[in-house]
Amino acid sequence: MIAAFEDIVLFALELFAYIAIYLVVNEGLNIQLGVTGVTQFGLVFAVSGGAFTAGYLATRLGVWIFHINTGGLDFIGGNIVLTSEVNSFTQSQPLDGFALLLLVIVAAAVVGAILGVISSVPAINLRADYLGITLLAFGEILNTFGVAYTPLIGGPPGIIVPDVWAWAGANRFVASTLTLMVLAALAYLYIEYVIKTPLGRTLRAIRDNEVAAQSLGKNLPRYRLEAIVIGSILAAMGGALFVLYAGSVTPTFTRYTWTFIPWLMLLLGGLGSNVGTLVGTGVWFTIYDLILYYKYSLQGILPFDVVWLNYLLLGIVVMVILIFRPQGVIPEKPARRKGAAKKQ
Amino acid sequence: MALFEPITVAQAMIFASLLSLMGVGVTLLYKTTKVPNFAHASFVTLGGYVNFTLIASLHWNPYWGLPVSFVVVGGESLLLFFLVLEPLRKRKSSVALLMIATLAWHIAMLGFLGAYADSLQTFLRVPTRNVVLSYRDFTLLGLPGIFYISISVTVVAAVALYFAIERTTLGIALRASMENQNLAESVGINTTRMLGVAWFLAAGLAGVAGALLPMWTLLNTSSGDTLIAAMFCVSIVGGLETLYGAFAGGVILALAQIVGTTMLANVVGVWLTGYEPVVPLLLMSIVLLTNPKGIGGMKVWKRFK
Repeated sequence: MIAAFEDIVLFALELFAYIAIYLVVNEGLNIQLGVTGVTQFGLVFAVSGGAFTAGYLATRLGVWIFHINTGGLDFIGGNIVLTSEVNSFTQSQPLDGFALLLLVIVAAAVVGAILGVISSVPAINLRADYLGITLLAFGEILNTFGVAYTPLIGGPPGIIVPDVWAWAGANRFVASTLTLMVLAALAYLYIEYVIKTPLGRTLRAIRDNEVAAQSLGKNLPRYRLEAIVIGSILAAMGGALFVLYAGSVTPTFTRYTWTFIPWLMLLLGGLGSNVGTLVGTGVWFTIYDLILYYKYSLQGILPFDVVWLNYLLLGIVVMVILIFRPQGVIPEKPARRKGAAKKQ
Repeated sequence: MALFEPITVAQAMIFASLLSLMGVGVTLLYKTTKVPNFAHASFVTLGGYVNFTLIASLHWNPYWGLPVSFVVVGGESLLLFFLVLEPLRKRKSSVALLMIATLAWHIAMLGFLGAYADSLQTFLRVPTRNVVLSYRDFTLLGLPGIFYISISVTVVAAVALYFAIERTTLGIALRASMENQNLAESVGINTTRMLGVAWFLAAGLAGVAGALLPMWTLLNTSSGDTLIAAMFCVSIVGGLETLYGAFAGGVILALAQIVGTTMLANVVGVWLTGYEPVVPLLLMSIVLLTNPKGIGGMKVWKRFK
């Protein structure tokens, strides 16, 4: 009975951790796709950028801030030794753990901003369809480098990263999930804030009518750049958080998991609606986990692996939403000015 | 060591043929429906598995299954077009939503194909992943049959497409629907049916390419996924607005990828082959950023018209 309860707690903790990580990434997509209307088919570009930054830098930063003597070990071959050295610090000092977490997130944000500037180059010149394909291509390039260029994160086998929540001991998953939820809440509130500022209203105006926005003197390239950079920073932070939570990084950041799934979550919730992003992420993961949970009871009956039902159902769900409720579960609300009179 | 060997060039030509067959469909669908079609990946994979099913269950010759693949995959595309895209187009949905709809279809098909491959394995007791059928191929003049077949199929497809589109009444109606849908409707052309024809042809060709795939390389439920970037690349390098540009795009990409990286790897070092997947992506990005109309859209061709 107690074991079952612990199972449920662990299940819930993991569910919330993934919802939190994806919420950070999805907020990054929402500001680009939902609010500004950039067809960001290369979200994985920034996510993998952040993840690889975390993989490449986490142990190095730990060695640097805790003054560890590497003894001539390199960071790929001596990955396990050096990482456990760093862990011996994060194990005893929560503050050390948080310092490392913060440093990694800041580094990922910087990389995310750079990648955002790079991907805004085509966004300024190309139309929605061409842009989507170009960004899709951008996204693939980074993962290929992760596989082929071993000094980055050790190639296909990947490397482990320090556990920044090691100090919590047996409660590691409670501590990590709570941290992730706080960070996700911050990301959510930040985008909520951005949408309500003049910047957010300008971005929506550009999305809804480029020509009208331009005729009012809005500098389209600059605003698109801003939206893409903000979005890429969030996406890169999400990638870094994913790596820190998982404790390891491999070059397996595919367009499926880190571009298409976030798109589907946003569509489910409602493009451009911030509450929709939250609801879409939560509902998607709940459905996904329920399918996983029930799949074992179907396993013997069906002549195939039940995992394929996930793809089948998710694809169908999205098509149904697109056709019957394109505005999503919670549609975007029109912008409201302060002091504007409410009609009836 | 020779800089490149005849077999490498033959490989490149097979690859070029298959890529052209896939890319020409991407271009055709972009021209008719104005949507970059992600579901093309599932067309290729389905074509491969239709052919494989016939080979594994009825022990057909691998090349007999080509027409069957053409029809089945064409049928799949009609489902996608009439069930999903038409309702969205009627509501004047944005290109982004149409793109994501083709993507959702592709993901659903990924699930279907995975379940299908698993079931096939359960019932026929044959492995259905990493399928290789090249051992069933014939050899002529030291080169595998796929070399001759893939090139002939591509040439036949190109010529047939040319005559169908440029010389027949159906082709005139099709071109009219591409150019201006409202105007075409006003002279009594059923544009929806014409778009359906375009989808059937485009998907059928991708299905044939998929059916030929296991004769040349491994067939997996993810084969189409792996190739989708290359398909877009072929279509874009050739020019998204120029139908026959895709054939040039296929040749260029295949040469760049196989001969280019093999030759460079001989000179620079073997580590370079790890970056091979980047080639189509870079090629595509460069063309889009410098000359988005592709080869077919360049002004040079105007002189020949």
